[in-house]
Order: sequence, then C-alpha cells, then structure tokens
Amino acid sequence: MATQRTPSPGTPADPAAGTGTRTPAPPRIPAEERLFSLVLALLASDNGLTKSEILSTVQGYRQRYARSGDNANLERQFERDKDDIRELGVPLETLESPTDPGNNQNLRYRIPRGDYELPTDISFSPEETTLLNLAAMVWREGSLSGESRRAILKLRSLGVTSTEPVLGYAPRLRVRDAAFAPLSSALEKRVIVKFAYLKPGEKDARTRTVAPIALIQQQGRWMLHAEDQDAGGTRNFLLRRIVSPITATSKHFEPFPADAAQLALDELERIWHERTAVVEVEQGSDAATRLQKRPGTTVSDTDPTTLLLHYTDINLFADELAGFGPEALVRTPPELRDAVRSRLEVTAADHG
Amino acid sequence: MAERTPPLQAQDKLTFLLSLVPYLMDHDRISVTDVAAHFGMKPEQIRDAVRLIGVSGVPGDTAAYQHGDLFDIAWDDFEDNDEIVLTNRVAIDDSPRFSAREASALIAGLQYLSALPEHADRAAIASLMAKLSRGASSAPGQVAVASSETDATLAVIRQSVASGMQVEFDYRNSQGSAEHRRVDPLRVESMDADWYLRGWDHLREAVRTFRLDRISAPQVTTEAITFAAGDVVLPELLFEASAADLIVTVDVAPAAAFLLADYMTDGGTQTQPDGRLRTTIRVSHYHGLKRLMASMSGVATVVEPPEARAVVAAWAAAGAARYTDAG
Repeated sequence: MATQRTPSPGTPADPAAGTGTRTPAPPRIPAEERLFSLVLALLASDNGLTKSEILSTVQGYRQRYARSGDNANLERQFERDKDDIRELGVPLETLESPTDPGNNQNLRYRIPRGDYELPTDISFSPEETTLLNLAAMVWREGSLSGESRRAILKLRSLGVTSTEPVLGYAPRLRVRDAAFAPLSSALEKRVIVKFAYLKPGEKDARTRTVAPIALIQQQGRWMLHAEDQDAGGTRNFLLRRIVSPITATSKHFEPFPADAAQLALDELERIWHERTAVVEVEQGSDAATRLQKRPGTTVSDTDPTTLLLHYTDINLFADELAGFGPEALVRTPPELRDAVRSRLEVTAADHG
Repeated sequence: MAERTPPLQAQDKLTFLLSLVPYLMDHDRISVTDVAAHFGMKPEQIRDAVRLIGVSGVPGDTAAYQHGDLFDIAWDDFEDNDEIVLTNRVAIDDSPRFSAREASALIAGLQYLSALPEHADRAAIASLMAKLSRGASSAPGQVAVASSETDATLAVIRQSVASGMQVEFDYRNSQGSAEHRRVDPLRVESMDADWYLRGWDHLREAVRTFRLDRISAPQVTTEAITFAAGDVVLPELLFEASAADLIVTVDVAPAAAFLLADYMTDGGTQTQPDGRLRTTIRVSHYHGLKRLMASMSGVATVVEPPEARAVVAAWAAAGAARYTDAG
C-alpha cells in the first residue's frame, strides 16, 4: 500500500476492506449505540460536523480514536456506518466547505431535520394501520421482509393501534428468489448487472447484461423489467429463471421514467388478454379442476370440457399444459398445440 | 402476535431506537409491558432499548456528553415499577420517514392485498400508497404488482377464520381421487402463480397443505375450529418429507435444476459425462412425478427405478397419442 487513501464521501466503502482488518479496541460499544449516537449528533448539529469531529467526539468512535495516529480502521467504520444509516432512509448529507471546496477533510456531515422527520401532515388512521400491518405481513420471507419489518417499527412509532388484531390469516407471498435482494439494490443504485438466464423453452442459460428498470409481479410471478444491453430494447426476466448470482458491473445508467413499472405491467396485461388458447380437458381430471380455476378462464357454454385460457409466455404455458399429459388437449393456437405435442413426444422418447 | 420474533440486527435495532423515542415522548408514563405489546417485542428488548436511550445523547458544546446533553428517564420508576417516564430529551422531535425501500415494500404489499376480495376498497389503498410515497425519504423504488383475480375459495376461508368455524370442501388430489376434507385454516400462502391453504386437517389429524385450485365446493361449517393460527407452528416447507416417499434418480440440465429444488433429497448431485446433473428427488407417488417430468420436457429424465420411467413414458405417450387420434 502506497498512500493512505481517504474514501470519498458518498461512495460506498470497499466492502473487502472492512472485514478481517477491523481491530476491536476496548471498551466495546455495541454497533446500535454507535449508530444511534451518530444519528443524534448529526441531527442536533445545524452546521454539520467534520469527520474528525465525529471520530473524536461521538460515542462509539471516540473510544477508539487515536489523537495522533492512524485512524484508518475507524474511518472505514464511519464509511460503513454512513451507508447503513442511509439505507434506513436517514438523509445523511455531505456539505463541502465553502472556503475549501474539494478538500475531503473539511467536508461536513449532517442530517437535516426536515428531511429526516415524517411530515407532520402525514398520519395514518387505525384502519390504514391495519392495512399496512397486513401489507407488511405479505412479505413472509425474502429481502422485502426486512424492509417491511423496519417500516412497521416506524409506523408503530406514531402510536396508532390497528382496528383489529392481526389475524394469523393473511395471504403470504413466498419470495424465494435469491435474485430479489441484489436486483432491488441494483435498481436503487442504478447499476448495470449481469446474470445467467434460462429462457423458457431453452435448455441452456445465457448471460444477460441489463439495466434494471423495475421489479414487477404478474399472475404471482416476479419479473425483472430491464433494458437488455446487448440485444437492445426492454425485456422481462422471470426471477425464478435467473440461475446465477447477480453480478454488479461498474457501469451506471440514467433513471427511467417513474411510471416505467406500471407501463411494463400494463403491457404484460395487454399481452395476457390478447393471447388465448382453446383446451379440451378430460372431465373430472386434475387438469379440469385446476385449469378451470386458472385466472381468466372461460368454460364453453355448450361443452363444459372446452376451456378458453389466457397466457403470457407460450413456452411456460406449454410446459404447464404438457404436465397434464392426456388430461388436456390443445385445440388452438397451432403453435401452442405443436409446442405441447412435441414436449410430450420428447418426454415419452426420453423415458422409453 | 403469534409470529416468532427474529433477533434484531444493528440496523433494526437502530430503527427501533429511532421509533421508540418519539413514541415515549407522546406517552408521559407507560409500562414496559404496554410498549412491548405495541411494538410486538419482548419486554426485555424494550428494557434494553430504554437503558441505552437513558445514557445516550449528543456530544454537546463541550463535546463531553454532559448531563443536559443526554436523554434521561425516571430511573426509580423504571427499576422499581417497570414504567418509562422520559424526563429529558435531545435531538429527536418526531418519527423518522420511511426509506424508499421500506415504502416500496409496503406499497407492493398493498398492491398484492388490493387484489384480494376483502380489500376491495381501491380508493383507500391508492390514497394510502400516495401517503407512503410522500412519507419516504426518497422516491420509492420501482416495484409493482398486477392485481389479479383470486379464487372465490379465499373469501370462504376468510369467513371461516373470522367466524372461528371449520371449513369443508372437496379436494381432488393429484392421483385424481376426490375426498371430502374438514380443515381449521391456519394460513394462506402464494408462490409463483400457485395458492395454498395450510391448515389442520381433521381427516388426517395433522397439518396439511392444499392447493387452492384443487378445492371445490368450499363451505363454512357450524363446527368450531380446534386450532387457530398461532396454536400450531407451521413448517417452513410447504410439503414435508415422509417415510413413505419414493426416491427417484433424475438427470437434469444444470440450468434447469432449480425446477427440482423443492423435491431434491440431501444426496447432492454428480455431473454426468453429458454435462447433466444426476440427483435424487423425493415424491409421494408416481402420479405427482409423471406430471412434474412431463412439465420439464427435454431438461429432465428419470434414470431409475424402471417403474418410474415406465409411468412417465406412458403418461407422456398417452398425452402425445391424443394429438394423433385427434388428427
């Protein structure tokens, strides 16, 4: 290592730098006490504090601060703490010194009260609180469960109690997709990412490089709506079919319009309405029971075994229908009919 | 709440501290038990937080954390009566804003709920979403959930829970046979496009998972439920392994292995000369297996036992034959 590099404010600290090199110095102050003290100090200071003021005076840092010495570890700790605090929605600001712009040592940090506090005209009724509690419980697992848990703590801070106790009954959304958390973080930071994707109907995954626009859910399936950097144009990627870890690149992208998520959903809904299939099901079979209950299904007036079904992706739907074996026969459209038929022939041949 | 309380991480603890202070400011005197109930936490977690708040503050003009620069509580009331009285406060005046990601988690949750029949008040939900966006520290991220039709069965289940009466229905299992079941509903879950009811099954006298799309003629009975949510700890896995399960060896294209994740045993995988992964899966009967394999055409093949291969082959061949017969 040549020179001591001071991490520039606002950029995330090198994650590899922190772990392992941390030297815990006595007395040990719990992380939450240090973070809490930092927020209090920055909220209370109108003009902000410089890094050296923070490190030398704030509880949790001052115990480890060396007056005349190397505080590199402590500085890295401060960089990580800033990221952690900002991630919670605390607006930690950096102000350049008017007399000495560009000098990192003279940057001042503060938390402007108006941006920190919930606006006073925002309040939630007991009915709304009940709904929000239920909304938080939807995220049973996955990355949004941590977010919703913290949101509920903030909601409870306002002191409103729900109109009804939260029943154990609340539909839960199981989000197992490991891609969800890294993608929502890439969305927020506007970073271009790479991942291997198994397109429905294909046997091998291909690497995609995309600018994430929105995470959307249609018919229960989570998708990433993104701009494909190689193919150009936007695509929807099923999270379940992302088969590699998400790799962040060093490239950033410009923000997309705020209604991009809604537009992408509208487009998917339009496709779903447009694409229909006529399927004949064997009476009393599993296919008959389940396909009739598929959202949007219409049963023929003249023949209860003929169903009109909607779908978005022909390959996914063909996989689903092939699973029903002889219980379902596709009448139209021809391309779906062929897709299901050839799937069944391949399965029969592979197992013959 | 019947939910388990997970251990809090530093960020959660910080959020809790920042949320607890304004709440205490609004209550001149409040018992630890009441605070614990309100925040859905254990009393000891509240006491730990109050002890920390009681010694925290700002460096102040002297940069020495002098008495007036710290929060203070009535320590006697706290130690002797388990009551919290905040006697000095610093820095914090109000509740914190939601982070963009917190707001979008709640907004997406609301969108999901608004698809359900009992939360049909779209206008109320829309105004709530607008409030959340305004109460966030920056614009909530782009997460959107399409509203979708849901099964009418959901409304019956909701009614069953609300009235505390068992629900009964006809259930056609994947073997094609229908049975009449009576169930205490414990939870409804959805995964991808599929909805599941998890409940206490009075026929099997055990917790069972039912696909909503296999339920017909659901009705609320006049018999009271035996178990409510919270009386029973539900396993994380939707379908539990059973000693009667059949073990099947399968070769699968590596990229498609995730499709078998719910069924894989702990046996691990070996790469075959052709690049496929050989793994073992657990199925309760071949009726389920044949449907699974036929839906993974070209990417998964049963290796053994031979009976399993034969069942899958016959199922797929019968399906393909319908196209030949139908012309």
